[in-house]
Amino acid sequence: MTQRGFIVLVFVIALAAALRVAIGPAAAADGSVHLALGVANGEILALRTNAALSAGLLGCVLGLSGLALQVLLRNPLASPFVLGISSGAGFGVALVLSLAYTLSLPAMAFGGEVAGAVAGALATLAIVAWLGRAREGSDPTTLVLAGVIVGAIFSAGTMLLEQLVPHGLRGDLLSWMAGRLPEIPSRAAFWTLACAAAGGWITLTACAGALDVACLSDDEARSSGVDVRRLRAMLFVVGGTLAAVAVAYAGPIGFVGLVGPHIARRLVGPRHAALVPASALAGAALLVGADAARQAIDLGTGRLPVGVVTALAGGPAFLWLLRNRARSGA
Amino acid sequence: MSATSAEPLISARNIVLSYGAVRALDGVSLEVPRGAILAIVGPNGCGKSTLLRVLAKLADGAGRSGEVAIAGEVAGDPSSLTKLRAFVPQRPEVSADFTAREVVRLGRHAVGANEAAVARALDAVGLAARADLPFHTLSGGERQRVSIARALAQLDNTDTRAGSAGVLLLDEPFSGIDPAEVVRIVQALRARATHGAVVLSLHEPGLARAIATHALVMRAGKAIASGPAATTLTAEILTAAYGHPMVESSAWLVPSLSAGGSIRS
Repeated sequence: MTQRGFIVLVFVIALAAALRVAIGPAAAADGSVHLALGVANGEILALRTNAALSAGLLGCVLGLSGLALQVLLRNPLASPFVLGISSGAGFGVALVLSLAYTLSLPAMAFGGEVAGAVAGALATLAIVAWLGRAREGSDPTTLVLAGVIVGAIFSAGTMLLEQLVPHGLRGDLLSWMAGRLPEIPSRAAFWTLACAAAGGWITLTACAGALDVACLSDDEARSSGVDVRRLRAMLFVVGGTLAAVAVAYAGPIGFVGLVGPHIARRLVGPRHAALVPASALAGAALLVGADAARQAIDLGTGRLPVGVVTALAGGPAFLWLLRNRARSGA
Repeated sequence: MSATSAEPLISARNIVLSYGAVRALDGVSLEVPRGAILAIVGPNGCGKSTLLRVLAKLADGAGRSGEVAIAGEVAGDPSSLTKLRAFVPQRPEVSADFTAREVVRLGRHAVGANEAAVARALDAVGLAARADLPFHTLSGGERQRVSIARALAQLDNTDTRAGSAGVLLLDEPFSGIDPAEVVRIVQALRARATHGAVVLSLHEPGLARAIATHALVMRAGKAIASGPAATTLTAEILTAAYGHPMVESSAWLVPSLSAGGSIRS
């Protein structure tokens, strides 16, 4: 079953990437623009291939982040959003961008945005973990509630910032907040994303066995020889940092981190040795597919944020999964 | 750690554990001899579960003093600790869609994969035939037995010279479990105790008297009596523990622990 699952994932990624590369606008004789499928040439082909690649990497990062947080919270409904990490990271990025604009700093390389996002994400984690702490470790329910509230506060903060900055930047911030893949990412941004994907993949795969054991209660996991506290600290940092990098790269993109690991579970089962790579691949398939759909809808004008597509498709898909879960009693 | 048969498998001295101003455990000492089934008995909130977690070296942090030695080891080096004791909670929890066999395999995580040990453990709890069903589809009693099998697999060192002499610790293993299932679990525990020892907390003193060789009676974080079950679980001592008169009675219907009762479900 595991092998077939991976074949399905790779096939879907290949199909989605092919569509993403092939879909483009074509002008008719009357000047109207319509959708066309075909092999673009030269620069356009390179541009679209890069876009598919960066969407795939971002999907990996989101899928891995979601999986890390789901194990951390022992709750398969968790995601970077539930913990408020995305909102915190978003606030960090918005703050850095507004400061840079207000103080007329030279155009920031990606480093500024990543720094803002990671600071925002880790600050959120620290606050949420502190609020969610219990007598023994942390209580998943309290943690989620704390995450939702802290996330709402940071989102409000981002909107406030938006009102305080001049019109020029306001538009940028607004569209960024909806989740948008950069048309032409800087080299720094692209490589940061690639390193995050590889680092998350390797770290989580390396402790796949412990992640399996962490699905037991804390006492059982500790009795079985897993240092649960250390594992959770690792999951906090990995899950949080991956979410931060994703937000810095493309703004908060919802549902990929949530739905990706679910699809992976259905395809390859619950063991993390397979689930870690499968979650990354499922995230990639989802985001490349969503970006292809976006391209088909906005015809390459880049007006539609991909976050809108992931929410429209991922939201109902998640509800369907939820309903199936409830029915199967799993 | 060369433990002789005379040495207790667990010895705890003067355990104190406080949560803020509340003293959950107030100077408890006990010894668990090899081959014993020791029941920790007392009213709700008297510290049974807390003591059990301390004995399993799962409760640490601030507000704790006293010393617990398992097979003579005090420091509790995590890797050797894993071979010496295994813990089964009141409500075994599995948040992933594992089968019973996969859950039992998790017990081998730190001590090395061993399918023979997994099979032996599933057999010991009478779940060999149902091992490939999803954990979530099993009944409460079966889940309890899966968790016990996970712990048994963890302690199974029969392939090595060390033998399998660890301690199995269980928190209220019979709450919400029907009588026939209780008997199946008791049979697995008795088999376990012949190799090492079993420590369990129980809120049902009659059951404790039926299955335990030794007992510790608690009240408000203190041990008010301990020793062989027959002399410890008396009406007098239990009356003191529960603060309510306890009397001998044959009016209760109890499952037969000796007759028939194949462990296979």
